[in-house]
Amino acid sequence: MSAPTQFFNRILVVEDDPHLAAGIVDNLRAEGYGVQALTAGQQALDWLSEEQCGLIVLDVMLPELDGFTVCRTLRQRGDSTPVLFLTARGDPADRVTGLEAGGDDYMAKPFHLQEFLLRVRAILRRWDWYRSASATPASAILHFAGNEVDFRAFRARSWNGISQELTEKEAMILKVLAERPGEIVSREDLLEKVWGYDVFPSTRTVDNFILRLRKRFERDPANPKHFLTVWGVGYRFMIEGES
Amino acid sequence: MKATRVFQITALAMVLVAAVQAGYWLYDQRSSAMEKVRDVRTLYTQQITAAQALLDSGAPPDQVRTMMPGIVINGKRASLSPEVDQMLMSEERRRINQYAWEGGFFLLALAVCNGVIFRALRAEARVRQEQDNFLALVSHQFKTPLASLQLSLETMAMRSLSPEQSRTLIDRMLSDLARMEAMVTQILESNRLERGRIDLKVEPIELGGAVGRVVAHMEERAAKEKITIAADIARGMYVMADPLALDVVVRNLLENAVAAVTPVGGGTISLTARQVNTEVELSVRDTGVGFRPADGARLFEKFTRLHPGGGSSYFGTGLGLYIVRRLMQLAGGRVSAHSEGVGQGAQFVLAWPVAPAGPT
Repeated sequence: MSAPTQFFNRILVVEDDPHLAAGIVDNLRAEGYGVQALTAGQQALDWLSEEQCGLIVLDVMLPELDGFTVCRTLRQRGDSTPVLFLTARGDPADRVTGLEAGGDDYMAKPFHLQEFLLRVRAILRRWDWYRSASATPASAILHFAGNEVDFRAFRARSWNGISQELTEKEAMILKVLAERPGEIVSREDLLEKVWGYDVFPSTRTVDNFILRLRKRFERDPANPKHFLTVWGVGYRFMIEGES
Repeated sequence: MKATRVFQITALAMVLVAAVQAGYWLYDQRSSAMEKVRDVRTLYTQQITAAQALLDSGAPPDQVRTMMPGIVINGKRASLSPEVDQMLMSEERRRINQYAWEGGFFLLALAVCNGVIFRALRAEARVRQEQDNFLALVSHQFKTPLASLQLSLETMAMRSLSPEQSRTLIDRMLSDLARMEAMVTQILESNRLERGRIDLKVEPIELGGAVGRVVAHMEERAAKEKITIAADIARGMYVMADPLALDVVVRNLLENAVAAVTPVGGGTISLTARQVNTEVELSVRDTGVGFRPADGARLFEKFTRLHPGGGSSYFGTGLGLYIVRRLMQLAGGRVSAHSEGVGQGAQFVLAWPVAPAGPT
């Protein structure tokens, strides 16, 4: 087991093509990341049940167990390690499947090296921000209107006593909003902070996530008191609730 | 393509309408023929009634017989002559038979037309689907070496590399290019095989010599991966095969075996041959990664790749074994694959018809 301070900078590359894997590994190492390279989906799941890393670069077309299944299995296990999918299938339907499977980003082969490195950095930076924003006991737990959110465990207990499992995106959106209570946060800000650039086609995605948060934490989701829409701009989070 | 399809569908619809029309015509003609015979019978019945009235009024039977030749008179009773009755019955049967044969033939011809057009439509839809799948798979197969090539080039452009590192990248790029070239060759080959454009010239070939030449070609590459190729084939065993096709299938099987043995860090590939009845079987057995027994048949389908991970030298196109099977089928031979399971090695058996006697 590696030291816990190091795993954030370690990247797991799961790619069955030896040349492509070698190219990716060499470049990530040159950028200063620790890299573990594996060639099959099941191998990756076995490795991840013992070890931790800050990011998984996951090929979709792997022998036997494909990348989407690997990602879904990880999420079901409660493993929220970010996943960047690499695939030869670049059509929008596959992109959506990848993100629905719990991926953080999606790149079609062939890709540009600099863009790949930028995306890797962006994902790690987002998670770095999230971890540091939830580092202290005070920032790791959020209390509002009878709800309690544990950002580190991705769990919550809502005002009616129901336990909730939060997805990493829901937790991140809530974290961004809770960092700036009472302020207007634009949809673009949320997209940039939580997803990075051009992953989702529209800001409607953010609206859908806000709806989910309202269902979890508002007493009357149709008349929200905490997750308020600022028409044409974005959202405002009120800890005390709007009277 | 679209115009042809519209034409085919229109033709199908027209033939269907024609079939319905022909069916109705047949029914109508039959009814009409039966009606005509009935009308003639009615006329004769009226003649019988008239003849009976004349007889009853005292007219001489001979005069009545002359006036109405189709009537027979027995004593004072008039009735239809058996010849006329027979003639009417056979006329009715003749007409019904004529229409049944003509209509039946017409309907059969239309049904055949329908069948031909329907099959053409279905075959075209299947070809289109296969082409779509093939294109999707081919583009997918190409994107991986392309991505590797782009990554290597961009790495060279972006970083200051040592001569050794540059050499590694250049070797990697050359290998990617070779991989793409092999893919193009195999895709063209499989396409030609699919369209039946390969003309095989089957002749007696001495198996040991032919296999030995392929083995000699592969030995050096195999040795680099710590693989020994052992061929034990008795001389003088002749098979009926195309020399080029035999070379391609044995080479493809050996490439496949090298690819399967490389990931386990080396091993052996052994080739043996024996005559079984009218066939000569060549067995290629390796100590490589093997496969699940249930996957034996799937291996010969296009774009099937079962090796988990593959070795450092393995870049299958997923077409090699497909080409082997097609070439063997065209040459009147066969190929099969067996493995006890993953990690248990594999055995491929090629079988050609035995040549009646050596070369003529």
